[in-house]
Amino acid sequence: MTLLTVIGQATPSPVPAPGAGLFTSPFLLSLLIWVPAAVAVALAFIPNPRGRYDTLIKQIAFFTNLGTLFVFFIGYSQFENFLPTMQYEEKVPWLPAIGVTYHLGIDGAGLVMLMLSGLAGVAAVLASLNVRERVRAYFALLLLAQSSVNGAIASRDMFMLVLFWGASIVPIALLVIGWGGPRRISAAWRLVGYWGFGTAALAVGALALYTAAGGTSFDMDHLFKATISPRVQLGISMAMIVAAATRLPLFPLHGWAREVLAESPPGVVVIVATAASRLGAFLILRTIIGAEPVAAHLLSPLLAALAVLTVGYAGLAALRTLDIRHAGAYLAMVPGGITVMGMAAVSPLGIAGSVLGLFAGGLAAALIAGACVTLSDRAQTRSMALLGGLAPRMPNLGWLLVIAALALLGVPILATFAVNVMTFFGAFKTQPLGAFALAASLAVCAVALAVILGRVLFGAPNADAPGVSDVSLGETWYLGLLAGALLWVGLFPGGPKIPGTEVPLFDPGLINQMSAGISDIASPYVLPTPAAPATQ
Amino acid sequence: MRYLVLVPEALMLATAVVVMLLGRFAVLPSAWRRFLPLAAAAIVLTALGIELWAGAALTTFFGGAIVQDRFALFAKAAALAIAAVALASADWAAEDSPYLGLAMPLLAAFGVMVAASAADLVGLWAGLELAAAAAVVMVALRRPDLGLRLLVVGGVATSLVLIGLAFLYASTGNADLVAIRDVLASRAPTVALAVPMLLLLGGLAVRAGIAPFHVGPLPISLGASPLGAGLVIGLVTVAAATVAIKIVAAVAPLPAVFAPYAVAVAAVAMVGGGAAALAVRSPRPRMAYLAVAQLGWVAAGLSTHFRAGFAASLFLLAAFGIAATCGPALLGRAEAGETAIAGLGAVRPVRAAGLALAFLSLAGAPPLAGFFGELAVAAALAQSGNFVLLGLGLLGSVLSVAAVVGTLRVLYIQSPVDEARRPAAAALPAVTVLSTAGAVVFCALVAGYGLLGNPILGLADQGAEALGLR
Repeated sequence: MTLLTVIGQATPSPVPAPGAGLFTSPFLLSLLIWVPAAVAVALAFIPNPRGRYDTLIKQIAFFTNLGTLFVFFIGYSQFENFLPTMQYEEKVPWLPAIGVTYHLGIDGAGLVMLMLSGLAGVAAVLASLNVRERVRAYFALLLLAQSSVNGAIASRDMFMLVLFWGASIVPIALLVIGWGGPRRISAAWRLVGYWGFGTAALAVGALALYTAAGGTSFDMDHLFKATISPRVQLGISMAMIVAAATRLPLFPLHGWAREVLAESPPGVVVIVATAASRLGAFLILRTIIGAEPVAAHLLSPLLAALAVLTVGYAGLAALRTLDIRHAGAYLAMVPGGITVMGMAAVSPLGIAGSVLGLFAGGLAAALIAGACVTLSDRAQTRSMALLGGLAPRMPNLGWLLVIAALALLGVPILATFAVNVMTFFGAFKTQPLGAFALAASLAVCAVALAVILGRVLFGAPNADAPGVSDVSLGETWYLGLLAGALLWVGLFPGGPKIPGTEVPLFDPGLINQMSAGISDIASPYVLPTPAAPATQ
Repeated sequence: MRYLVLVPEALMLATAVVVMLLGRFAVLPSAWRRFLPLAAAAIVLTALGIELWAGAALTTFFGGAIVQDRFALFAKAAALAIAAVALASADWAAEDSPYLGLAMPLLAAFGVMVAASAADLVGLWAGLELAAAAAVVMVALRRPDLGLRLLVVGGVATSLVLIGLAFLYASTGNADLVAIRDVLASRAPTVALAVPMLLLLGGLAVRAGIAPFHVGPLPISLGASPLGAGLVIGLVTVAAATVAIKIVAAVAPLPAVFAPYAVAVAAVAMVGGGAAALAVRSPRPRMAYLAVAQLGWVAAGLSTHFRAGFAASLFLLAAFGIAATCGPALLGRAEAGETAIAGLGAVRPVRAAGLALAFLSLAGAPPLAGFFGELAVAAALAQSGNFVLLGLGLLGSVLSVAAVVGTLRVLYIQSPVDEARRPAAAALPAVTVLSTAGAVVFCALVAGYGLLGNPILGLADQGAEALGLR
């Protein structure tokens, strides 16, 4: 239990990182949203005769994402983890006639998501260095996708959330169609269909919430404080769950995941598997757990069931498939299920676990899906019937695949360990059956991973298989970045400190920073302390 | 000074007449002819400036037959902006006649302006017919058979509208819209009112080409010149929708006599338009079906029969008008189907961007003009509790966006046709300074509509209030 206490409460210290306050910007969140969008538009119109400036375009995309990550890191280090309120808020009336406000802001959960999105942006560009065709369009679309995901994370107005949520569909679908594998058309239609349906569900939920709250404002500050009958709360929450399930994805609305994650180029896999899909869980956290406690309590068994079905289905499907990319895609669904179970626990510990799960789960999902896509590229086949004994021939990728597998299972020293500990300890109290079923499903996933890794990395080499090569520098960097972030947060959840002091060295620690706002979200779910026995 | 308000109308009419006379008597040297579109666009922009400057005055003319209120200001400004951008962005090499091709959009916009400021039934009808007649001329320039067909379809629409107007007049004893509203305020809904409204709205739906009445105008638009198609799909539809908004506002005290029709048409149009857009592949039919789907949202806003819904419909109508009129103009010939626009993003980047934004806006994709309009209507639908229609609308939008992804793929991801083998039907649009500037302005308008949403929606709201809605 000591470890649990350490993870759950880390070091809620008001001590800021050295250098805090050196740089301030009232438009920090706007910068993260609009700079990638502006660069994307500029890239789209840069003349690039016969690919002459392909390298320059890649550099621009890389440094744009690195720059926004740097700006974000400033915001991260200056984030005040002892404040439960939204920070870096920007609020400007936009369409007062229908109550729309340009309102941005983040709390601990939003900060975690932005951190994930920032890392994913850099990793996605690194993973895309092999792109040779229509480079200008590719990177413009990639930046647009990232811009819309950042917008959806930072939105504090439901209208804006719907806007950014929907805006990511078209660029990602075009990336899949334009640069995907042989079944890219089918993958893109599935993506548009499922995500479009999810956007429609989100719009219905948002508009129902707007109407129930008086029809005067889309601002979340207003909507989430409105008194809404339990029946309406249930209806709205169901719409939100449908929207979230199409994104995360959750069984049975996962139909896009296999095709999209298997057919997309690695850069797109990273964007989709990380922040773009974690938006689903973030939506549940924001609009159900954080806003409608009655509906959250009533729907928690449903959420738990969806989580179990998702993880169980993913494990069984991965066990059954012979396509390494499909296996990676199925396994990438697992962290989403665990994150949702943390929310289904409706307990402070479970919710904290699910918030960390947004970050760690996103990284783990991208790592496993990306590693499988890269492995199939490097091995020139997707068939696990042909793949075998690759560990000696591609040692770097072998290690990264092993780390991905361990991250999915949540072994110690990786960030997902803390997620799983918090989730299961939170869920066993309030959803014992669900937590047990999830643990069993996770065991199925472990078997699937063992079988896949055993066959692909450590099995007997296949003489008929095409030649293989290890990962390139760019691929090593992108997979290494994802794995490194998992390791860093796993090793230093509270951030490294100057020895002998509580002063953070340079990273205040993700666990510390994410705690802002969680207590606020979790406050309706604190179980009453049992009364002390009366003394004689 | 009071008559300054009428200057935009006078400018539009005079320019159209002068351009037609220039064409008839061939007095313009051929070297000057290429400056005609620029001159016409500049005059329309001047008219727009005058409208925005002087149009805020509230006044009436000709014994109250013409009224200048906020609704008129909004609709007239929108019509002028649409006409200016359409003239500037059109590929004049693909048009059949530079003179009639210039004059007819001006007359169609003038028709919208007349309908927008009409205070009685006669003015509404006159404005609508003027816009429709301009479209018939444009279509007949290239395909006289289709022009004749449009005339017949238009005749059916006109008959229905006229019978409906006559019955409405007979039922209320008034042709003045305000008086009709006052009379109906103290009456109960009757079949004698519901039937003329059915005929009237049916006629307007045929005129607008809204599903299921699109079977007439929509195929006709496909054979017209680019700007002709824009007129049929865009400006004439805007004229019909303007008339519908004014009539529905007049009978708003009795929503039972019109709301069910609006709901039915909206549902069919939103879902049917989106599904049809997904089913076809050729860009121009796809754009036409997307327009049908978005027009369904306009009808959905009217079904709410309260001010916010009407304001949202008006807000969307302006966004629709710009994309539906200028979209076909930006598309150019495109008679060879998808091949004509394959890889256009690489060879005509500005035009392709305009085309992509037109498609996306008509589909209601964020963050473009159509999205803001549709979400404003959606908010009004939610407030009125019509979640079924809202759900159908969102389904239609999803289908529309899926359809547009297919077109964007052709525009940006397919390779362009080898220039040596490019068929005439897939000829690339000519690039001129004016057409490039027009495309840039179009992109700015469609992409920036949301940024300017507050003043535009505010004016639309005032427009709805001017129609007597609360």
